[in-house]
Amino acid sequence: MKQAVISCLHANLAAVEAVLADIDQQGINTITCLGDLVGYGPQPNEVVNLIRQRNIPTCQGCWDEDIIDGLNACECSYPSQLAERRGHRAHHWTEQQLTEDNKAFLATLPMTLRRNSHLFVHGSPNSQHEYLLPDMSAFAALERVDSAGAEILFCGHTHQPYVRELSEGSIQVKVQGNKEAPVEHELKLPVRRIVNAGSVGEPRHGGTKATYVIHDDNTQEITIHEVEYDVAATCQAIVNAGLPEVFAWRLSHGFEYAERADDASHVCER
Amino acid sequence: MGHIWLITGPPGCGKTNWILNTLQNHSGPKAYLQLHGHSSNELEQAGNVGIDRAWLKDQIPDLQHAEVNAELVQEPQKDQLTLIEWPQFHPPKTVGIEGADPSLLNTLSGMNLSPQRVLNFGCDAELPDQDTLRFTRLESWSLNLHGQVWDPNSLSSFWFELVNGAYGDVYRAKALMNLPDGRAFLCNWMVSQPSSQFLPLKNVLPPLGRPQRTSELVVQGKALNSPGIESTIHDCLLSDEALELHQAPLREQFNQQQSTPSLV
Repeated sequence: MKQAVISCLHANLAAVEAVLADIDQQGINTITCLGDLVGYGPQPNEVVNLIRQRNIPTCQGCWDEDIIDGLNACECSYPSQLAERRGHRAHHWTEQQLTEDNKAFLATLPMTLRRNSHLFVHGSPNSQHEYLLPDMSAFAALERVDSAGAEILFCGHTHQPYVRELSEGSIQVKVQGNKEAPVEHELKLPVRRIVNAGSVGEPRHGGTKATYVIHDDNTQEITIHEVEYDVAATCQAIVNAGLPEVFAWRLSHGFEYAERADDASHVCER
Repeated sequence: MGHIWLITGPPGCGKTNWILNTLQNHSGPKAYLQLHGHSSNELEQAGNVGIDRAWLKDQIPDLQHAEVNAELVQEPQKDQLTLIEWPQFHPPKTVGIEGADPSLLNTLSGMNLSPQRVLNFGCDAELPDQDTLRFTRLESWSLNLHGQVWDPNSLSSFWFELVNGAYGDVYRAKALMNLPDGRAFLCNWMVSQPSSQFLPLKNVLPPLGRPQRTSELVVQGKALNSPGIESTIHDCLLSDEALELHQAPLREQFNQQQSTPSLV
């Protein structure tokens, strides 16, 4: 059986429709969404409605959490004053647009979803705000997956799709007895995988195409898919909505709406 | 006996950089004069900005500015080199002083100046020509940022957006920008170059509030979205409170350094 995993939709309806059409065309019925349905993009209600209509299991992203809590992402997660002000504008606009019903829906989303040995989260098992970057230390990465009791951890949040296999790891332990010479033990670490689904609505992989992943349960193959969509339509909708025009420019060039935090491992403790 | 040279060329061709190198290599007294170029409907000169003057003065502290002391060029010191910068979009039809714009000749004559050499970017082989572009249409926009201090990361984002086309087709951007730690940078972009230059000023001020020195931005290009540029800049500049947050720890450090006796 194949399953598709999508993440970081960011209120970009054209991108979400294109990705769902691509998944449908392959006859894949199991879809999981890793959150951030809203934020920055121009169609928050339309995107939430579509996910609800399709009944796609979804976990809560950092933007989904912030909108329903009436909070912006903590200030320390913005890399600059400019990014913070733009983030606040996007937050304020989204909060005004979202229907109460859709806010209530976002409030019900779980932090994590689990299907057999697969764990689905937005950022990491610890927080919706933590970035699991591909170059994170292997030990820390393995800790995130293994402590959550998963074999494959599906995450998003970074907007950069990747598949990382954590294998051939071991820990050497030297046990010193009272009288005997120390005894060395080598513990083989299990093979684990982290799969980042990238972003449907705000790609950050160097291009403008929406990204998502497909996992084949039979072969254990994981593939990253890129889907073209009508970027110009979303850009026009951004301008029409009165969101900062620079969001449209950034999206049309494959840049994120606002810059990512300098400290990618930062976890907000507010 | 002094030497007076006239340097002309279109925006971004490298006049100021060439002037800087030439003056730095001259061992005698140095003077600099910047004259206004002419604008037309299609080709706008950058408003007379103090960026070049402030930058050159920072790099060459003993440089004399002829704008404030006309006698400097009329009665030059022995071996004084005076460089006059004059922005000009189109190359002259003939080389030498005869090819200079008549209005420029009037201005020079009114100041009793007669350059011994005229160097034109795009004409003279001894000058670099890789950045000498022929413009047919050019808008100019500038903003005085005196006393303003940038959030450093915001400046980085803004400059990236500016030179990559978020606010219109920018061919040329030049600025002196203040940072909260007392440093200032010359930010310099030309469409013919692969990347921007960010050159620190030698003169670093103590982190004591808003710096009182030249700070300006000049942008030249086509279809410039000046309200968009201004709005983004507004989001990047530090308020008094934010500036104090940046500067308070730096001031403490600065004061400690001042009070530590030197072991030399």
